[in-house]
Amino acid sequence: MPRSHPPRHPDADAPIAGPARPAQRRWDLAALRRRLAIGLALSAMAILLVLPLVLIFTEALSKGLDIALEALAEPEAWSAIRLTLTVAAIAVPINAICGTAAAWCIGRFEFPGRALLTTLIDLPFSVSPVISGLVWVLLFGANGYFGAWLDRHDVRIVFALPGLVLATMFVTFPFVARSLISLMREQGAAEEEAALTLGANGWQIFVRVTLPNIFWAMLYGVLLCNARAMGEFGAVAVVSGHIRGQTLTMPLYVEALFNDYEWIGAFSVAALLSMLALVTLALRMLLEWRIERDRSAGV
Amino acid sequence: MSHRLTRRGALGAVLGMVAGGTARAADAAALLNVSYDPTRELYRDFNKAFVAQWKKSSGQTVAINQSHGGSGAQTRSVLDGLQADVVTLALAADIDALARRGLLATDWQTRLPNNASPYTSTIVFLVRKGNPKQIADWGDLTKPGVEVITPNPKTSGGARWNVLAALAWARRQPGATAETEEAYLRALFRQVPVLDTGARGSTTTFARRGLGDVLLAWENEAHLARKEFGETDFAIVTPSVSVLAEPPVAVVDSVADKRGTRTLAEAYLRHLYTAEGQDIAARNFYRPRDAAIAARHTSVFPTIAMATIEDFGGWDKAQAAYFADGGLFDRVFTPGK
Amino acid sequence: MMVEMRDLRKTFGAAAALDGLSLSVGKGEFLALLGPSGSGKTTLLRVLAGLEFVSSGSIAIGGRPIQDVPARERQIGLVFQHYALFRHMTVARNVAFGLEVRPKRNRPSAAAIRDRVAELLEMMEIGDLGGRYPDQISGGQRQRVALARALAVEPALLLLDEPFGALDAKVRRNLRVWLRALHDRMGLTSIFVTHDQAEALDMADRVAILRAGRIEQVDTPDAVSRHPANDFVREFMR
Repeated sequence: MPRSHPPRHPDADAPIAGPARPAQRRWDLAALRRRLAIGLALSAMAILLVLPLVLIFTEALSKGLDIALEALAEPEAWSAIRLTLTVAAIAVPINAICGTAAAWCIGRFEFPGRALLTTLIDLPFSVSPVISGLVWVLLFGANGYFGAWLDRHDVRIVFALPGLVLATMFVTFPFVARSLISLMREQGAAEEEAALTLGANGWQIFVRVTLPNIFWAMLYGVLLCNARAMGEFGAVAVVSGHIRGQTLTMPLYVEALFNDYEWIGAFSVAALLSMLALVTLALRMLLEWRIERDRSAGV
Repeated sequence: MSHRLTRRGALGAVLGMVAGGTARAADAAALLNVSYDPTRELYRDFNKAFVAQWKKSSGQTVAINQSHGGSGAQTRSVLDGLQADVVTLALAADIDALARRGLLATDWQTRLPNNASPYTSTIVFLVRKGNPKQIADWGDLTKPGVEVITPNPKTSGGARWNVLAALAWARRQPGATAETEEAYLRALFRQVPVLDTGARGSTTTFARRGLGDVLLAWENEAHLARKEFGETDFAIVTPSVSVLAEPPVAVVDSVADKRGTRTLAEAYLRHLYTAEGQDIAARNFYRPRDAAIAARHTSVFPTIAMATIEDFGGWDKAQAAYFADGGLFDRVFTPGK
Repeated sequence: MMVEMRDLRKTFGAAAALDGLSLSVGKGEFLALLGPSGSGKTTLLRVLAGLEFVSSGSIAIGGRPIQDVPARERQIGLVFQHYALFRHMTVARNVAFGLEVRPKRNRPSAAAIRDRVAELLEMMEIGDLGGRYPDQISGGQRQRVALARALAVEPALLLLDEPFGALDAKVRRNLRVWLRALHDRMGLTSIFVTHDQAEALDMADRVAILRAGRIEQVDTPDAVSRHPANDFVREFMR
């Protein structure tokens, strides 16, 4: 990425010409250094973040838009898109509900083991995604704890949709819970208690008081959860079985295409995933602004 | 209240998933072929041909599903319950591992002709246009300034064959001893700037990223790379000595019997040995077993002196001697040099 | 007696927040709970509201034992120290909340709720703030909204936790007078918590002085200041 401007000469800003006083010079040097640091950081960011993104799109479109769209219209591509959406459609709502429930317990109540539960929620973040996938193979694989029982009843968990959903759920569980815990702790239980003394029942309190207060933060968590659910590679790679047209999610399909020397296809699907990421980013900024507003409006 | 909701939602989702999973398992008009990485193109063509042939001979429409990955990883998945009706892997040792766990009969290799290996392959060199470094045989690889691309033998089956082929050549040099073999291998890996984890990764490194002067590759990969990246930009050099790799195929008894797909699965594998199957293999640059078909493709498959795995005492011995921790490869290769 | 508390005990872990506390409040009375922090004032209020439950002892309101009645059925108004207004609702919706969450059969019509809210806001002298959100009004105004919200359900007993704690001195003095007048005009029975003895003496019919979960003395402001029951009360009232 081109750097927009080289750092300007320090004197360009100095209002007075003539011999610089030592203090002035020191300040100039500091400013120069600061600008250099910022310039370096921005260049690094451009190289690390923007360049790959641009590359994905240019590669995808290198043979023209119709070829790229054609690659996306392949039955296997469709199957991968459908599978990814299905997995997200199951995993994300479940995580939204469970995550909210967990955050509510942790944010509202003091109970023994609360600290442990808080740590446990973060577990998927500290575990390698490959391990997150392997857990399910160890549990539900043919040699796993429930493998024999599942096989007798002809139920397939790993190398099928349920395994993909479980692996995705595990990896993405922390997003909703984490985005809510600190907020709920900060908000405290006073509004809910007020609603209680005014005669509201549990459901009314949740829908009318709790949910509106955490709505934007929850949406934020759901957004991140969804982005990760659709983009997850490591954990689903382990439980996928890589059956083309059946258990390949979009990220796995990108890898498969790449290994097939189908560059255009690989980059087209990758571009689609990147667009999802960009939309996520935009929505995320919007939500962050909303949440900040709500937070500062705390009464 | 949210707890009740959670439980109900989760239960519904699980039931839905289980129903979906069961429905899929009961679908008998489909075969799953679990294979290794370089056979993607081969089986794409072959499956099309088999589906058409099966439709003609039995009237039944079948679907062949494919799964590709590293041979070892694929073996692991089948062990863990991936419902493979047939496996078409890189090494007999991988299918033996399945047989040891009772997934198929231990005599699987006698159930089909040619050690249950319908096609073979060997290791060749892929060089750049005009062969600028004048590489003709294994001896040229260790010349100063020659960069050699190969995947990591620790992770890639193909790379192990590369090492064995190199050893086979070194072994046939005058005055060869264990020491000269090891010295040659050390000199060879000194020329390797980067080790990818798999064969496809190395091909990409060499052909797409433009690294290195010569790629040690499967014959079929080398031809495929020329097709994909430009026939004129790359040339294949056949060394004087290489190895004979016999990728085996087998029906996974436990899965085929449970799913009732045995007849279909056996017909599928037998079709690999027919004239059509052999021709498809040859057109995808796998050496056919059928002499008549092979005769039609002699320009693609020049005669090479080939060592077999038996020359190295079989896979178990070769693995322990060369590729296990502390084996020959560990001794000759120091990463990051 | 309107409210009858007998031998209330409440422990958090090893510490006793209420330690055999007994207290009666008469109908129409304005009672101040006074004491240093940690003396159990707020716990007592929360126990009365049903947000905490006592370990032992009994509470009766109008002769009906309520210690096991859930908070939402107690008909007790509670004004929180920091008001706890619903931040995402307008002032009018805040006040209407207690009426809107009633089961259908005894929920007033939408129009009736609207009228009642308007009437309450008028009474609180904030009739023009109905459409505002809590973050758009001043602290004193929030206090009045919280009060209106609590009164909307016509509670048998009104509890106020440090009602003026978050306000500046001038607003405080005005509200004091106003609140006492409102109490008398509406015929309420109120208990309010404070740690400011001047405030307690100024407003209350009777003052209860708490220490470590027990009542040290309950009496009229005059009697408490003139005849403190012990050294603690004397020290505290000074």
